[in-house]
Amino acid sequence: MYAGSMSDIDFGQPAAPPPDSDPTELLRRVAEWRDKAALAGLFGLFAPKIKSMMLKLGASDALAEDLVQETLLTVWRKAQLYSPQRGAPSTWIFTIARNLRIDQLRRQSNRPYEDLEKLELASDLPLGSMLIEQSQIIARVTTALEALPSEQREVVRLSFIHDLAHSEIAEKIGIPLGTVKSRLRLAYDRLRPMLEDLQ
Amino acid sequence: MTVTHHPNLTTLIAFSAGTLDEPYAAVIATHLAMSEAGRKTVRQINTIGGALLSAEPDAAMADGALDRLLDAAGDEPLQTPPAPDHALPAPLASYLPGGLESVRWKWTGPGVAVADLPVQRRSPSRLMLLRVGAGRRVPEHSHGGHELTLIIKGAYKDRFGVFAAGDIADHDEDVEHQPIAEDGEDCICMVAVDAPLNFRSRLIRTLQPLFGM
Repeated sequence: MYAGSMSDIDFGQPAAPPPDSDPTELLRRVAEWRDKAALAGLFGLFAPKIKSMMLKLGASDALAEDLVQETLLTVWRKAQLYSPQRGAPSTWIFTIARNLRIDQLRRQSNRPYEDLEKLELASDLPLGSMLIEQSQIIARVTTALEALPSEQREVVRLSFIHDLAHSEIAEKIGIPLGTVKSRLRLAYDRLRPMLEDLQ
Repeated sequence: MTVTHHPNLTTLIAFSAGTLDEPYAAVIATHLAMSEAGRKTVRQINTIGGALLSAEPDAAMADGALDRLLDAAGDEPLQTPPAPDHALPAPLASYLPGGLESVRWKWTGPGVAVADLPVQRRSPSRLMLLRVGAGRRVPEHSHGGHELTLIIKGAYKDRFGVFAAGDIADHDEDVEHQPIAEDGEDCICMVAVDAPLNFRSRLIRTLQPLFGM
């Protein structure tokens, strides 16, 4: 769907993946055509990864399966909220899984996130054309995350995957809270150049 | 609305990861509703979560998991959430269904009133509205913890500058300040705190339990 968008920039990446494995295309088919085959495609790409993330948080196998189901049902129901100019499908799906883990694993309210989502939909800010494919942004951020110094990568993972508050990270690895925050800032400084193409 | 005071980057990172306590998440979400720049930063930070999710190893799914999903995915129409119709930013409005007029203010000192907003569970932190009368001052205080203050209406000034609607003051525990509301209209703020405020004057400190601050 973004044929030609890469015409003037060459990042040396291989050609676009075939439609069945391109999550942006699958999401578009879900939103526009209520296409269950496309939903099955998204399941194949993301269900095993969402389950892995939920298992790391201490969910039982059965609960992790339930949370995968709920995440993908939310994708099915809210597919039209996804805007390809504003982030990769994996980023959007991460935020859905995050909201579910707040609600069901931590038993806290995710209401502020839900309310914000409605607001994003109402935003009439015009979106410019994308200079770079979302999948490439994800690939570059993934590479940059792997290249982070291990102590920075550790705090990023503990925050985003293991769902620990900054104070809990400080306690777990035995460093001051200020050090946790400075490591996160340093990590973000390294990732920032890859994120500036996002709007 | 031009926002000049933004949250700390680490606060937005915690919001994106989903690890803020509800009162802080509510203040940040309300701020984001008022700041396109803030929303853009959070979308960028969210990409870290997206990249980490896409790099997760594959866990084996149970037999029949895909059939279960396809059975549950009915042909119901897509959910389109109603457009926000409230004068208040949506995340704050959901805590205040009756709007600002419905707030039951509790007097806490000359020109200063607070009202607690209900959060889901008992937590060490607290979500409240703070109203400072035009030209009035909040007693000088420091913080025993993280204080997040979002200006909803009006403006105040302290040693960090002027804070107007949409601006956020993101203070760690080592900060002392004395906000004074600007003349003209009352300043209404949405505040998350995780510890009681410590007022410097002994008189105020004595009164603190009465104020409930």
